[in-house]
Amino acid sequence: MATTGTGRATADRLTTGTAAHLRSFLREPVHLALLVAMPPLVVEGYGRAMSSFPEMPFVSTVPATLGRVNGAVFAAAFLAGLIGLFQVVAARRADDRLAICGFDRATLLASRLGAVLAVALAGAVVTFAVLRWQVTPEAPLVALGALVLAGATYGLLGILLGAVLPRELEGSLALVFVADLDTFLASGLVDVDTALVRALPLHYPHELFRAAVLEGSVATADLRGAVASLAVLLVAVLLVYTRVAGGDHA
Amino acid sequence: MPNKENSSDDGPGDRTVLRARDIEKTYASRVPLVGRTVEVLDGADLTLRAGEIVGIVGANGSGKSTLLEILVGSLAPDAGRVERSGTVGWCPQEPRLYDRLTVAETIDLFGTAYGLSEAEAADARDRLADRLDFERFLDYQVRHLSGGNRQKVNLAVALLHDPDVLLLDEPYTGFDWETYLAFWDLTADLTERGTAVAIISHFVSERERFDRVYELRDGTLTERDSAAATGDATDGSVADPSAAAVDGDGSGGEGLGDADGTDRSPGTGEVV
Repeated sequence: MATTGTGRATADRLTTGTAAHLRSFLREPVHLALLVAMPPLVVEGYGRAMSSFPEMPFVSTVPATLGRVNGAVFAAAFLAGLIGLFQVVAARRADDRLAICGFDRATLLASRLGAVLAVALAGAVVTFAVLRWQVTPEAPLVALGALVLAGATYGLLGILLGAVLPRELEGSLALVFVADLDTFLASGLVDVDTALVRALPLHYPHELFRAAVLEGSVATADLRGAVASLAVLLVAVLLVYTRVAGGDHA
Repeated sequence: MPNKENSSDDGPGDRTVLRARDIEKTYASRVPLVGRTVEVLDGADLTLRAGEIVGIVGANGSGKSTLLEILVGSLAPDAGRVERSGTVGWCPQEPRLYDRLTVAETIDLFGTAYGLSEAEAADARDRLADRLDFERFLDYQVRHLSGGNRQKVNLAVALLHDPDVLLLDEPYTGFDWETYLAFWDLTADLTERGTAVAIISHFVSERERFDRVYELRDGTLTERDSAAATGDATDGSVADPSAAAVDGDGSGGEGLGDADGTDRSPGTGEVV
């Protein structure tokens, strides 16, 4: 049997790879349970926890609403990050074999990104629906877009973590630590505005989301910052995943 | 049966399809003062010619799987050079497959990787499923297969594109007797068509099937006469494949794996 020379088009590989990764995601009950259960638990958990807080002098928003806003960003981001991490770790050796068989790593990464983005979108939609139950966003489409951005950002972070730390437990712990710290510093509960805090991945998506939900505005600077964070992570993932993931390559 | 006839002077056997020279590999801990450094390969040389079947033997932990991973390009050697011509098929010792894809989806995905058209992949799938007897499991997810059936799919993935060089790391682990024999028939067909096959084996009785045998010991690869090697089991080889390769229950591994997806394939892990 002869192979088809240059093979099927890259687009064909991309489609087949993305479909395969999505099937793998949908056939894992734990992933589906996370997608359904995490957003309501986190959004309502954060909201109810914050509802016992007194009104704070430097925060104009009702604490429960602020809690739900923070919870929504955390849920959308962490869910996508976790799935990105699990996908890369679980499929590491199979990915390695697929690459050896001729599936180039850039296309493999693109197909995995496609699957993680789809999960980020699904997570953002579920999270947004849960938020809408108690909070009416002033600019709903922008708010949903900000959640997708938060999910995509952490989806990339999950893939990056999975590439450099290919263990589910250790990777999950690292991810939860980073996401907790990131959400807390971005929440506005503490008045910290340093370059380091602004460099954290959720800072700009959080600002974008908060403004869209509470004020109905789109801060262009925040949007630029969020897209820049995403771009930086994308480059990091491209560099690391294609070199590190899947084994010890020449 | 050895395939000397496929390696005649004017046959395809003159054509070297894979050559490895001075391969060195050492495993060392990335963390200072933790773990130990193990020198696995120390100047290993190997040549594969079209149409021949070569055995690679050695004790557990001698570095056979490491050598095969270097030959296929999955692992980078510390030193040395590997030259390949033509397409390569690789069957790793531990199936490297996507657990939650079905067998048919797995073949479709790897077919795409090899650059096969849909029709070519479907043809290869049907041919190999019939030959290796896993037709009725095409719609099963890989995680639901028994160890033996998973190994059949593992082997089928290596054969999909009809490679010029086939590198097999204990490919029949968990096979029932019928499939074990079918495997050797398939191998004979492949070598007749000019495919070069290298197989890691632990079975003394198989050595008469090889044209040449390489023995890996203390990091060095030595070519030995296959007939002479037949009587020497000092490397930990097993005398009878029927006692070791066949599924433990003798049922042929046709059933499903454990409900929780646990791999029931016999443990043959080689720690290097």
